[in-house]
Amino acid sequence: MAAITAVSALDAALAAEDAAIYGYGVAGAHLTGSRQAAAEQDWEGHNKARDTLTAMIYALGAQPVAAQAFYALPFPVHDKTSAMALAAHLEDGVTRAYLAIVAVSDQRLRDFGAMAMQSSAERAAYWRGSTQAFPGLDP
Amino acid sequence: MPEILPRRRTLLASAAALPLLLATAGCRSSDGFTGPDPLAGRPRPAPDVVTLTAVIAAEEDLIGLYRTALAGDSATTARSHGLPGLLAQHEQHLTRLRARLIQPPGTATATASLRPSATASAAAPARVTVARLRAAERASAAGLVRSLATVDPALAQLFASIAASDATHVTVLDG
Repeated sequence: MAAITAVSALDAALAAEDAAIYGYGVAGAHLTGSRQAAAEQDWEGHNKARDTLTAMIYALGAQPVAAQAFYALPFPVHDKTSAMALAAHLEDGVTRAYLAIVAVSDQRLRDFGAMAMQSSAERAAYWRGSTQAFPGLDP
Repeated sequence: MPEILPRRRTLLASAAALPLLLATAGCRSSDGFTGPDPLAGRPRPAPDVVTLTAVIAAEEDLIGLYRTALAGDSATTARSHGLPGLLAQHEQHLTRLRARLIQPPGTATATASLRPSATASAAAPARVTVARLRAAERASAAGLVRSLATVDPALAQLFASIAASDATHVTVLDG
C-alpha cells in the first residue's frame, strides 16, 4: 500500500515535470537575454528531474506515466510578462507535486520531496519576483 | 457538625489510601476502563507535539533575529533587502504552526510555545547582519527537513512548505 502511494506521488511529480518541460519551451520563446538563459537552465533542470523521477518509479517496479504531446496553457502567452508568469505557474505546479511526496511514509522520499520543492519554490520566486509564505500549500 | 467532619476525614483518608489499596490488590487504577491511568501523572507529549514545539521555538527565535535586524544600526540595509516582507512571512509561519499545537494548558511545552515573541530571548544578539539572517534561514530550512521523520503527513507538509519558503528567503538575502 505504501509503495502504491509512493508511486502515485512520484507519478504526479513526473507529470508536473513533463508539463514544465513543455511550458518552458513556450515561455523561453518569448524571453531574451538573461531571462532566456534562466529559462533554458530551468528547462534543463526539469529534464534532469524527469529522468530522476522516471528511474525512481522504475526502481519501485512501476511504469512511469507517459508525457503528453500537448499541454493546455493556463493563459495566453504572447510576451515577456506572460512568459514569466507561465514559468512561475509551472514551478508552482511542480512544488505542489513534490509536496505530495512529502506526505508518503518513506523518510527518504519525504526528504527528496522537501528538497525538490525548495528548488522549485526558489525558481518560482525568481520568475514571480517575490517569495511566498507557504509554497505548495493553500495560503 | 461533629458528625460531618469525621465523615469528611474518612473520605480524604480513603482517597489517600486508594493507590495503596490498588497496589495491594495487584491492580492498576486503570484496570476496568480504557482511559488513561489517573494515577500515572500527566501523559508524555506525543512525538509530534515535541517536534512541533521545538519548531515553534526556532521560528520565534528567527523572528527575533529579524526584529533585531530591523531595529538595529543596519536598519537601512535591512529594509533594502526586503526584510519587513520576509518577517511578515515568518509571522505567518508562526501563526500556522501555533494553530497546529493542541495540548492541555499549563504543560511545560505549551508554556514554552506561548512566548509572546523572541525579542526578549537571551540568545538574541544586539546586532544582526543580513549575513546572519541568511545563515539562520538556511539553518531553519535544514532543521525543518530533519524534523520530517517524526511527524504526521500533514505536519510534514507544513514543515516542508515553510522550509521551501525559508530557502527562497536565502535567495532574497543573497541579492
